[in-house]
Amino acid sequence: MDALTKIVNWMPALLQATGTTISLSVLSVAAALVFAVVLALGKISANPVLSNLCRAYIFFFRGTPLLMQLFFIYYTLPQLIPALNIQSRFFAAWLAFTLNVAAYLAEIIRAAIESIDKGQMEASRALGLTRRQAMRLVIIPQAYRRMIPPICNEFVMVLKDTSLVSIIALTDLTYQTKIIASNRASALVYIPAMLIYLVITGVFTFIFNKLEKRLSIYE
Amino acid sequence: MSIIKTENICKSFGNLEVLKNVSLTVEPGEVVVIIGPSGAGKSTYLRCLNRLEKSTSGKIWIDDQLFEDRANGHNQVHHTAKERAAVLLEMGMVFQRFNLFPHKTALENVMLAPLAVKHVPEKEAREKATALLQRVGLGDKMDAYPSKLSGGQQQRVAIARALAMEPKIMLFDEPTSALDPELVGDVLNVMKQLAEDGMTMLVVTHEMGFAREVADRVIFMYDGAVLEEGRPEEIFSNPKHERTRQFLQSVL
Ligand SMILES: Nc1ncnc2c1ncn2[C@@H]1O[C@H](COP(=O)(O)OP(=O)(O)O)[C@@H](O)[C@H]1O
Ligand SMILES: [Mg+2]
Repeated sequence: MDALTKIVNWMPALLQATGTTISLSVLSVAAALVFAVVLALGKISANPVLSNLCRAYIFFFRGTPLLMQLFFIYYTLPQLIPALNIQSRFFAAWLAFTLNVAAYLAEIIRAAIESIDKGQMEASRALGLTRRQAMRLVIIPQAYRRMIPPICNEFVMVLKDTSLVSIIALTDLTYQTKIIASNRASALVYIPAMLIYLVITGVFTFIFNKLEKRLSIYE
Repeated sequence: MSIIKTENICKSFGNLEVLKNVSLTVEPGEVVVIIGPSGAGKSTYLRCLNRLEKSTSGKIWIDDQLFEDRANGHNQVHHTAKERAAVLLEMGMVFQRFNLFPHKTALENVMLAPLAVKHVPEKEAREKATALLQRVGLGDKMDAYPSKLSGGQQQRVAIARALAMEPKIMLFDEPTSALDPELVGDVLNVMKQLAEDGMTMLVVTHEMGFAREVADRVIFMYDGAVLEEGRPEEIFSNPKHERTRQFLQSVL
């Protein structure tokens, strides 16, 4: 009974921190998606400069630890260029996640686009569509559906990876949990915290599954 | 007057010479059937005509207009993108594997290019697409997605889709090779009808019955070159080349 009362008492603080975790994840994945489309189309473009630039970006952000990228943006960047001093922890975390996740999403998008049968582009071209029209009207709409499951996967990873931001003392769910655990010396708090993570990943997976079904009516 | 004329088309993929000086003329309204063993370069030839492949050298006239004059892969005819697009629109193509857009219904497949390329008003595009689908016998399948159609039905949608752009020439690359035997007839009938309506057609096929019945001329391609051409009766009953004879024996 005592344990239950404790948990109920922690709830407001935990839920508030959950808000930070969710908004950080949603906002960075949303921004990363937009950026990733540019990166993906850049990487498969015929322009070698653009293509290699995008390739290098993706290689860098997938090839170094996210934690280091977060440190770099929050601590190193202001030292190198004082004008880029990031005051807001949330903003620093958002920027690091956006830049990092965009690299992963770009590969997902590129793979989805390249998985569409070559015959689709040929038929489009034979009908007089420009390459750009073919992409917009034929290839990308088909690629959408194939992107959903890996994007969902990536999103769930991001939701969990945001716990890394506790290291720059941003009050996300993990950081709040740690505070409660150390202040009140009660390790019990990890139980509701993990349940909250489970609920949100569950809810988002459900939403993505629905979306995938909606997009596959033609199959 | 010719609607397609090619002179010494050559095409190599790396070191592999796939087309060796293919010269061919097609008159308006003519139905020309290309036969030949697999790997002879038939598909590559059709694809060079509508630029899905770029020939290495040779000249192409479409509707008596010099469209390409290539040497070492470079086209020496300078067209604006618009002019080039206009010439390409004179040719419609039907593929062996249909290549319908799976995320669009039959009707939407047929309407897509007129809307996007010719900016035809929606209502007009819909009416025309409806008429075309009825013409290929699919009036009752307009709202079906390709996955719900048989191969033969899909191929007929693909024919309607190509016709929607009002081409002067239709290129067919083995349109019935991917079909179950019982579905071949419906597609061939649509093609026959098209030929009777006066469409200029260049058809790669292994359907010798169709060639015999519909073709004005049969071309036998072998190893990247035109080995023999003539009226279907001549080619089928009295082939001049040993290769042609062997090929016909293997398919008939
Ligand atoms: N994109 C390509 N790259 C390399 N080789 C190709 C390519 N397309 C066709 N070929 C080769 O060209 C030859 C002729 O092919 P194709 O025109 O498809 O013949 P057909 O249609 O008469 O069967 C074949 O040997 C084939 O392997
Ligand atoms: Mg072929």
